[in-house]
Amino acid sequence: MLGAFVRAFRTPDLRNKLLFTLFILTIYRLGSVIPAPGVDSVAIKQCLQNVQSGDAAGVYSLINLFSGGALLQLAIFGLGIMPYITASIILNLLTVVIPRLETLKKEGQAGQTKITQYTRYLTLALAVLQSTSIIAMARTGQLFQGACPPSSYLPDDGIVTLVTMVFVMTAGTCVIMWFGELITERGVGNGMSLLIFTTIISAFPSGMMRIWTEQSQWVFAIICVAALFLIAGVVFIEQAQRRIPVQYAKRMVGRRMYGGSSTYIPLKVNQAGVIPVIFASSLLYLPTLVVGLMGPESTSPVVTFLNTYFDPMGTHPVYMTTFFALIVGFAFFYVAITFNPTEVADNMKKYGGFIPSIRPGRPTAEYLDFVLTRLTTPGALYLGLIALLPMVALGSSGASANFPFGGVSILIMVGVGLDTVKQIESHLQQRNYEGFLR
Amino acid sequence: MILGLSIVLMLVSLLLIMLVLLHKGKGGGLSDLFGGGVTSSLGGSSVVERNLDRLTIVSGSVWIVCVVALGLLIQRG
Repeated sequence: MLGAFVRAFRTPDLRNKLLFTLFILTIYRLGSVIPAPGVDSVAIKQCLQNVQSGDAAGVYSLINLFSGGALLQLAIFGLGIMPYITASIILNLLTVVIPRLETLKKEGQAGQTKITQYTRYLTLALAVLQSTSIIAMARTGQLFQGACPPSSYLPDDGIVTLVTMVFVMTAGTCVIMWFGELITERGVGNGMSLLIFTTIISAFPSGMMRIWTEQSQWVFAIICVAALFLIAGVVFIEQAQRRIPVQYAKRMVGRRMYGGSSTYIPLKVNQAGVIPVIFASSLLYLPTLVVGLMGPESTSPVVTFLNTYFDPMGTHPVYMTTFFALIVGFAFFYVAITFNPTEVADNMKKYGGFIPSIRPGRPTAEYLDFVLTRLTTPGALYLGLIALLPMVALGSSGASANFPFGGVSILIMVGVGLDTVKQIESHLQQRNYEGFLR
Repeated sequence: MILGLSIVLMLVSLLLIMLVLLHKGKGGGLSDLFGGGVTSSLGGSSVVERNLDRLTIVSGSVWIVCVVALGLLIQRG
């Protein structure tokens, strides 16, 4: 294992890629602690601590998860990559609805590039929207729900300063987008997911410290062991796949022989990855937003309803059931849009491939569909359970918001980690045969 | 002083946004985001991309310097 690390750093081009990735991630973290101009960084940290120890902590756990605490400090990279994720989700859903996007998607590489370009424009628009609303909330003091007077952390609330802050945060989001693309292009792994990974990891030490100081050492040890088992379980299921054998017929093209090989189609148990969880969390964030806009003290029936059933502390059964149902639904939906059995079957038929004992064409598509549905059922249930686990286990004690091993974060961590290690390994295998994983 | 620097900062921000958007979007799509398999980028970057990179880095540095300077100015004043 250690030998593999040494070898990874001995390989010149891989070393450059790794160092480049680390360099970009360092700059990203630096940018998330530099406050936007006009913000008193000392005062706002004080406010943050007041709020986090208060009872409204749950509202901030999800926002903080995706921004690494940078948003509430009004840092220049405060919005993080949340706008980009939201934009990708929106465009992904729109491809099903709008025919033009669907044709673009089917065009392959060129169409995909165009869709990416649309995603980037949409990201910019969302960034402007979100930074404006965040700055507006900060000015009225709603950002900390009135726990902190805005004049303390915004010493100068002239219009010029506020507009400058909006500009800076928007530009920051664009820079983050560029960082992600740079890592994808010249570094190791997928840039966007590595950036999310970093923000989640960065919340880890402080979360662990809080458990260490607030709870007894036994609790700390038990939590660590439980987390290890949870991570092992998640890795196990993420790696699980069903291999459907495919036999290719031999054929002659000119004087050369093609095919005649037997391979397999790998169908993962959790084909959708963590995307359903992210979809569901961002949808369930909406009620909180509505309550925030109407003011938590408002007596309108909508707010009362949302406050009782969709309290973001997430301990109410209705909230948990909705979360679970959304995740399961999205898991099936996402698998359906990413893996098209008819297309796979057609492609196999075109190149003379078939699944043993099943006719090519429609029966193959039906078989693939059947297997996929049967596989996705436990996969979707597993996703929902993992995401709910911390809420159920710790919800009653109210510790879920401060808990660093939330279901969403573990899923993202393991998913991204595995992916990156696999990519490093494929680089390693070009030089020598042994990698990290056996 | 503060007003002037604010205006400069806004202009630089706009420039930075423009430059980033001019880059060719690489590795897009949500399917790539989490466990979408290994995508290899074929072919090096073109001359245009390289110059764009250089410009972006320069304006990014100017941007950071402006942000920090303006932040310090407002806090002191």
